[in-house]
Amino acid sequence: MRDVSKSGKAEWLVTMPSFLWLAVFFAVPAVIVLAFTFHGHTANGGVGDWSLSTWRELVDPDYPTIVWKTIRISVEVTFWCILLSLPCAYAIARLPKRWRALVAGAMMLPFWTSFVVRVFAWKTLLHPNGWLQACYLTWLRVCDWAFDWLPAFLQKFLVWAGLASAGHVDPAMSTILDSEAAVVLVSVYSFLPFAIMPLYTAAEKFDFSLLEAARDLGAKNFYAFRRIFMPGVRQGIVSAVLMVFIPAIGSYVIPQMLGGTECVLIGNKIFMRAMQNRNIPHASALATLMAVSVLVPMGVAMWWKHRQEMRDRRRLDVRTAQLMTGGEGQ
Amino acid sequence: MKRSYFSTVVLALVLAFLYVPILLVVVYGFIPNGISMSFFDSAGRFSGVTGKWYSMIFSGDVRLGSLMQSFWLSLTIAGLATLVSCVIGTTSALALHRWRDRLQAVHHALVYTPLIMPDILIGISLLMLFVACSVDCGFWTILIAHVTFCVSYVVMTVLARLQDFDDRIVEAAYDLGAGPWYTFFHVQLPMLLPGVVAGGLLAFTLSIDDVVITSFVNGAGTNTFPTYVSSMTKHSRNLPAVFALSTLMLLFTCVLVGLSKLVARGQQPRAKARRQ
Amino acid sequence: MKDDFLVFDHVTKRFGALTAVDDVSLTIAKGEFFSLLGPSGCGKTTLLRMLGGFERPDSGRIYLEGQDITDLPPDQRRVHTVFQNYALFPTMTIWDNIAFSLKLSKRPKPEIEERVDEILEMIQMSEHAWKYPNQLSGGQKQRVAIARALVDRPQVLLLDEPLAALDLKLRQHMLIELDAIHDQVGITFMYVTHDQGEAMSLSDRIAVVNKGKVEQLDVPAKIYEAPASRFVASFIGDTNFFSGEIASVEGDYCTIQTEGFPAIKAYNDKNLSAGQRVDLSVRPEKIRVTLNPPPPEKGASINVFPSRVQDIVYQGVYTKYWIKAGDLRVAALKPHSRFLLDEEKITWNDDVFVWWHPDDGYMVEAK
Repeated sequence: MRDVSKSGKAEWLVTMPSFLWLAVFFAVPAVIVLAFTFHGHTANGGVGDWSLSTWRELVDPDYPTIVWKTIRISVEVTFWCILLSLPCAYAIARLPKRWRALVAGAMMLPFWTSFVVRVFAWKTLLHPNGWLQACYLTWLRVCDWAFDWLPAFLQKFLVWAGLASAGHVDPAMSTILDSEAAVVLVSVYSFLPFAIMPLYTAAEKFDFSLLEAARDLGAKNFYAFRRIFMPGVRQGIVSAVLMVFIPAIGSYVIPQMLGGTECVLIGNKIFMRAMQNRNIPHASALATLMAVSVLVPMGVAMWWKHRQEMRDRRRLDVRTAQLMTGGEGQ
Repeated sequence: MKRSYFSTVVLALVLAFLYVPILLVVVYGFIPNGISMSFFDSAGRFSGVTGKWYSMIFSGDVRLGSLMQSFWLSLTIAGLATLVSCVIGTTSALALHRWRDRLQAVHHALVYTPLIMPDILIGISLLMLFVACSVDCGFWTILIAHVTFCVSYVVMTVLARLQDFDDRIVEAAYDLGAGPWYTFFHVQLPMLLPGVVAGGLLAFTLSIDDVVITSFVNGAGTNTFPTYVSSMTKHSRNLPAVFALSTLMLLFTCVLVGLSKLVARGQQPRAKARRQ
Repeated sequence: MKDDFLVFDHVTKRFGALTAVDDVSLTIAKGEFFSLLGPSGCGKTTLLRMLGGFERPDSGRIYLEGQDITDLPPDQRRVHTVFQNYALFPTMTIWDNIAFSLKLSKRPKPEIEERVDEILEMIQMSEHAWKYPNQLSGGQKQRVAIARALVDRPQVLLLDEPLAALDLKLRQHMLIELDAIHDQVGITFMYVTHDQGEAMSLSDRIAVVNKGKVEQLDVPAKIYEAPASRFVASFIGDTNFFSGEIASVEGDYCTIQTEGFPAIKAYNDKNLSAGQRVDLSVRPEKIRVTLNPPPPEKGASINVFPSRVQDIVYQGVYTKYWIKAGDLRVAALKPHSRFLLDEEKITWNDDVFVWWHPDDGYMVEAK
């Protein structure tokens, strides 16, 4: 049926609504943003002439720190999400069929409340007088104590990487609210279902009799989990990583409501530059950077997947050729 | 099996973790003191729960005026955006499924790239467009923005259904004498409807919940429910009303989903009545 | 050609480098039950789809009742298809599925109702009229698909391996039903299958297709007993091939000298002369296996060979013996026409005699 050639006119008619809409409201704005990065900014919030001043100003020590912090936090959030979602996906996939749909639906139900309201609920939970604050302080004290035991060069490295701060914790200053920890915690909360869903989909297609075969051959539970289950849901893990990392890079609401001044990420900076400082070129440049840091992992993942498919297809062709020369057709 | 217990425990903990804030949302709708956000008064005594926030919502109390206004705006925009993006998204999915040429390759990129772009980028780029065209931000810019990011989700949902489509059924329709338009309206569209509805629901949810993109393009005065809430500070006295409203939304969604499941199950015996 | 009902005139179809249909010409009579039989990928389905309008021939024409339909789209042909997986419209009831083509031709409502009810009666599905396709079993869906295609009386009904998805018992039942429907309705059926049993039991004529070409077009009996090529002989039923050279000709008979096997007498129906190479096809059911030599009255006119039993496959109705004769493995079928326990018991490694009448071998073209 595909070669019945009414395709010319009909195809254009059917494609144009979405094509035009997205071209005008997605592609063109993207180009505009890119164009703005090559202009300077004027004092009263307008856009100046063509220049590379914006890109040069980006080296301002403020920005790279923020970019690094965003990436670091995104990695942390992704790590915790995957860590928690692997056993969850495994557990759901092992449930009897009727329960599975129920639990999967239960995962989705929180999404039916407004996202902002949920973050707001966390804000009250993390209130300075709450018990979570007490837990947080204890944790900080433990970290301090552990830090003191480390050799000097390791301490310096951790401070440089931003994973620790020199000096001891001051209870009055360290509230869990308005801190990085809060941002990580609530981000994990928000993105966890995004990690569980693709992993669960992959786990459902996984052949669990492989694990039984492994146990039969003498493998312990965790060994089988690590060596057989995890590689088996590899595609799901990749999807889960992407589904958490990419939104995490673009985080805005959570750091804005819970991060305070300690945790300003690229998203917040973009908003600040665009809406408060009226520095459109800077905002555009940061946005472009963010786009790049999103497209690069996506591109890598797609290229890797393409290579896998090519390799599989080549193997299939070789096998088919073998069969055809070996046998006599039918 | 030891493994099962561990992962089931983790699952239970995660589910609890996910639901604690939801419970809080429901509970906070009954807090008497909007400022201190506590069930206890300054002397430490339990001051009871109150349904006053709910009654304020239902009676249209003027103190909640701007909150409710933002809520209705959200609903309106979500409804309109869903409608428009469903139409655009369905035609897009049909095109992507039916034809495979360079036009569709570009079309595919146009449709799927917004899905991986963080909201911030979409928000700021749309703002730039409106700034460059000297358009005042308000209702229409919000609507345009919502349609733009919803379309991709509708396409994704409908296209997934289309790929499960049995192409032979379209052939069977042609075979029996139906032309392309007749086949589309009488055979394909009814089969696609569940997918379009699912895409529409997704679009509606995303639109009602969106805060980032809306904050970029809403201009000074216009507030949707999420932007209104995010701009509320600790000093706002009507915070519990927000939670109460959210609880109502949650209830409504649950009821809606439950109803749609019932409708899906009850559809089949319905046809019997027709002939008589 | 104008008087013939359905004609394929030198039709060719290529898919890239692959020639699916290679210069095929067929003439089909009105009301005939015609089958295209062949292995997967032989081009039979492509031929069917070209008739249905879903593929365009690269060269050649197709004529239906004198009209050139080659360029007509499917919805303008009075040809309907029964698809292998039924392709019933899932959002419509059975009644609406069947009425689909009638509604399109804008028939008056009472006529539609009458015709649909009538055909529902014929397929015995009247009580299920208001069900949806997903509530039916495979056999029921099959019947609805046939009814849907027949209800507006097309010129030709195309069936694309319609019984492939059914289990054995249901398939046997549907074979009888299809036959009955064809008799009742009198429409030309064009049937595509890879199952020779279906083709032979249903068809008036069969076209055996291989690699895009029709190897033989004939009635079922001739295809079985007088296969035109080695392919047809081995695709339809089971056979034994003896390849050799004509040693001598004696009247209507000749003697074939094969390698690794004693000389065979055969009926020389192709009038070959000494020195020519030939493949002789002997069907297993024509070969007899006995512990004792054949009675002397049969005399020297039959082929008799001493051999040893290698394998026995018991099939209830008959037993298949694999015999080692010379260098060859020969299959012979012994029907159990008497109560088995009374017959002589042949078992593994027995020395037996295999014999058949020279008339029962058939010469197939040698390369």
